[in-house]
Amino acid sequence: MQAQASLQWQDINPGDSFSTDTITISRRDILDFAADFDPQPYHLDPDAADDSIFGGLCASGWHVTAVMMRLLTDTFAQNNINLLGSDGVSNLRWKKPVFAEDSLSSRITVSKKDLGESSYPLSYIECEVDVSNQNGESVIQLSTSLMIGNDQRGGTADE
Amino acid sequence: MSNSPYIRSRWFEDIPVGEFHVFGDHTFSEKEMVDFGKKYAPQIYHTDPEAARDTLYRGLIASGWHICAIWMRMMVDYMERFATGVQDGRRNGAGVGFQDLRWIVPVRPGHTLTYTYEVIEKSDRVVKNKWGIIRSRNEAFNQNGELVFSFVIDILAERRPAD
Repeated sequence: MQAQASLQWQDINPGDSFSTDTITISRRDILDFAADFDPQPYHLDPDAADDSIFGGLCASGWHVTAVMMRLLTDTFAQNNINLLGSDGVSNLRWKKPVFAEDSLSSRITVSKKDLGESSYPLSYIECEVDVSNQNGESVIQLSTSLMIGNDQRGGTADE
Repeated sequence: MSNSPYIRSRWFEDIPVGEFHVFGDHTFSEKEMVDFGKKYAPQIYHTDPEAARDTLYRGLIASGWHICAIWMRMMVDYMERFATGVQDGRRNGAGVGFQDLRWIVPVRPGHTLTYTYEVIEKSDRVVKNKWGIIRSRNEAFNQNGELVFSFVIDILAERRPAD
């Protein structure tokens, strides 16, 4: 494991908070993601999108969650945290559509930590994640459980 | 059934709790997993098949958000063929949120997931005078029949207009 140099589960506590970088979503990004994963008119066709519930071409909700993951992954890497994935999201709300050229950034706040019972050397933190656009409007909010390296528990990766 | 104009043109009121669909199968290739990982979840266990062997996952696994994105694709394709036509952007509502999402078992290159959908609840809430909320439980099983992914999502469906 590359754990020596990185922050472990023990080093992270409820109340810790991280601000991410910003990612701007282009029209091309929206169309590409939609073509691959969510080919619905309001993500693909500007004319149809104008008549839709969103009132214009907007990113797939799953595109927004993917960008959230990129923001989170980069931030944890910058903070040298040994992130080993996520096992779930207890709730998520899509609050506002994301349009072309919107710039998204995120605030990640640790709300809980849990030693857990994994047989691997990891434990859990619960994070509240709020992604907002360039106007400071929240576009998605979620609570997710993340797995963080914890050398003091579990077996080895060879189990 | 698949060609029924009734199925394709249903309003919120016409969709029964308990309705169940199998959206279909998707086999995850190494390339699509790496492409998704490099863009959205750049961790070596999502991006580098060789280096991933030295992680606790002992090989490449799909990003959980990739598993979600494929769920969306499977649903769109299925609904376009068999249910409320998604090509009508005014009729087909958006997702408002989800809960209890769990990634249970890793998905590796060559694994095939079968995605299923069941309507479990219809809320009384009316959104913007026009939309109802359909709550569904969604699951994905791998080629060994293991449950690997599940969540409950709320999606808007247009209510029958008042006469």
